[in-house]
Amino acid sequence: MTEAYLGVDTGSISTKGVIIDADKNIIARSYLWTEGNPTDAARRVVDELAAQIDTNEIQVVSVGTTGSARRLVGAMLGAQVIKNEITAHAVGTTYLHPNVRTILEIGGQDSKIICVEGGIAVDYAMNTLCAAGTGSFLSSQAHRLGVEVEDFGAIALSSKKPANIAARCTVFAESDLVHKLQVGYSKEDIIAGLCRAVATNYLNNVGKGKKIVAPVVFQGGVSKNIGVVRAFEDALGMEVLVDPDGHLMGAFGAALLAADGPASKRRPFAFDVDDFEFRTREVVCNHCANRCEIICVYKDDDLIDSWGNRCDRGAIRVKPRA
Amino acid sequence: MPKTPLMQTGEGADDTLHRTVSPEAPARIAIEPGERRGLFGKGADRDRRGRARAQRDRRADRHHTTKRVAFFHYSYYGPVFKFFIEHVLNAEYLDMGEPTRRTLEIGSQHSNDYVCAPFKHIMGAYIEALDAGADVLMQFTGPCRLGYYGELQESILRDMGYDFQMLNFANVPSGSMREYISYCKRIVNPHLSVPVGAANLLACFRMVEKLDTYNDAYLARAGFEVEHGSFAAARARFLRQMNEAASAADIDEAFRSGMAELEALPIDKPADPVRVGLVGEYFTAQDAPSNLHLEDKLLAMHVELARDLNMTSRHLRYNEPNLRRSIADYVTYDMGPTSSLTIASAKKYMEQGFDGIVHLKSSGCTPEIDVMPVLQRLSRDYHVPVLFLSYDSQTSDTGLDTRLEAFYDMIAMRKAR
Repeated sequence: MTEAYLGVDTGSISTKGVIIDADKNIIARSYLWTEGNPTDAARRVVDELAAQIDTNEIQVVSVGTTGSARRLVGAMLGAQVIKNEITAHAVGTTYLHPNVRTILEIGGQDSKIICVEGGIAVDYAMNTLCAAGTGSFLSSQAHRLGVEVEDFGAIALSSKKPANIAARCTVFAESDLVHKLQVGYSKEDIIAGLCRAVATNYLNNVGKGKKIVAPVVFQGGVSKNIGVVRAFEDALGMEVLVDPDGHLMGAFGAALLAADGPASKRRPFAFDVDDFEFRTREVVCNHCANRCEIICVYKDDDLIDSWGNRCDRGAIRVKPRA
Repeated sequence: MPKTPLMQTGEGADDTLHRTVSPEAPARIAIEPGERRGLFGKGADRDRRGRARAQRDRRADRHHTTKRVAFFHYSYYGPVFKFFIEHVLNAEYLDMGEPTRRTLEIGSQHSNDYVCAPFKHIMGAYIEALDAGADVLMQFTGPCRLGYYGELQESILRDMGYDFQMLNFANVPSGSMREYISYCKRIVNPHLSVPVGAANLLACFRMVEKLDTYNDAYLARAGFEVEHGSFAAARARFLRQMNEAASAADIDEAFRSGMAELEALPIDKPADPVRVGLVGEYFTAQDAPSNLHLEDKLLAMHVELARDLNMTSRHLRYNEPNLRRSIADYVTYDMGPTSSLTIASAKKYMEQGFDGIVHLKSSGCTPEIDVMPVLQRLSRDYHVPVLFLSYDSQTSDTGLDTRLEAFYDMIAMRKAR
């Protein structure tokens, strides 16, 4: 029986999971769409991962969760480590690429930049207020153009004269795109223009004021789009690395953090999420006009976690784990 | 073309659109940089007969002239505003307590969407105060758009049909004490006693300094409390005692006992804790409900905090040219309300080896946007990361928690290395 660690990254668009062995090699990987149902997506990811390993030989002893549904999925899986996605990505990437200096990350709804010195994150920025130029923008434009978002990169590379798309704001980018289509630009020029717009928008917003030093690693779902990778390389004038497991980096980081956790917290993970029903319930606290919405998570009929209250008056307590 | 008056018939000279405002209005509270000076020339008992008369009048019609004055929530300065209204203006203070999410919701509902978040917070507080029966709303003025807010808010509230008076210090463009007094007399209390008010105004300043000193100690220690909640409870007691203060002696006593209690609370502080400096815009960086209780969130991560920005350092002991001298390598001109203070304190924290800086501003705050490139340069020069946070009425706890947690992880891991 060898020990292993599970990491699950539940994002807005996709859910990622990996299992790593004691030597921190990825031995199982899973990537699927969240489809607006994080608990179900996490359950499917865990099932996919379980199918890839021999559970008689390998025992998962610690679980880490990250991504925007980290808390919910963490409660569901009884995770030892629940970490934000920025830390998880930094930890995962610096482990695989110890020399990396800049990590570019564009996900479904957010984008971030992490500056690294000596294998440790020293600065980061994340988009605020606006999601222009993220994965969900690209997929909605792909839908409008009648193209699969997976084919975007290849189509973009076929363009010789990328169109200029105003991508500061998603809504205006869309009207600019429609306008260019109507006046007769070719589809590949528009798609190439979109990819370029994503890169320049990122560098002008999230990357503003940050010194981008090579080696640069680009990850997140959008890094699978070769058109955007090429646009970054053109804009930065340096090589941009995309790891084949780049989309799994958050889950990998969460698994690494779980592996680094104290031995006292380790517990065999049973892969039995299918045997329970997980439900969430919203309770509105009426103690004051803040009306905090408290989320309670139930495993069958047992309350396992709750959050959302701003003060202790609204706290809904969970009985400590036996 | 003949001038068409905007005023409608029947409206008096108090129309907000027709106030005489001098173009060279120095838009700030009467507190000028530099040394303190005597407020009213030759001492308190210059006009004894006048004072006796005022006292008699006050006694005579106290019951029908006392007005209920309300102020919006601003950081922990509630006791100061209460003291000012009760003991300087000699009126009734309407305590609105902590604002809630509803406050911001109704404030946003009656504000332009793109106006900065402080406007919406203040707007919400005013509406709640008027609904609770306030007669007079108080607004101070500032060297940014805040200087125009009082007037705009008054117009919006009148359009909503509220009847009230506005004590808006932006309406005293000359900044002269004589005009401030006559303005307060006209709006709030015709019988207010100038000598008593002056003495108590000094007590207000004293209270501001005491509150800020207390807060500095609180921020440095509360992250390391041994008993969960002990610091927050002690501070609540301290603020309650300050709130009940009726004289300078009470203020000193509240401060003495509050500090003694704070310093006696057990803490478990490592020799080299993670230290974060807070800088930013005047309202958002100081007012906890506006920044979603950022200080509490950081303290819960066991961080030592420092925030130079407060009323003491911005008003009572503000010396902009001096601040600017300390950042002469980066800045040539004063860029606005708190720009020099933001940059100078960020630089100071970096020089003192702080692990990170958090810059808070409301979304669209132009002066603090101007500061950001300078902070980025400082960050590169000193290798200290800066987390930039922009708040508007839509900002959620979830997004803030993710960013703060990541920032903490980053600086803590870097420190451990």
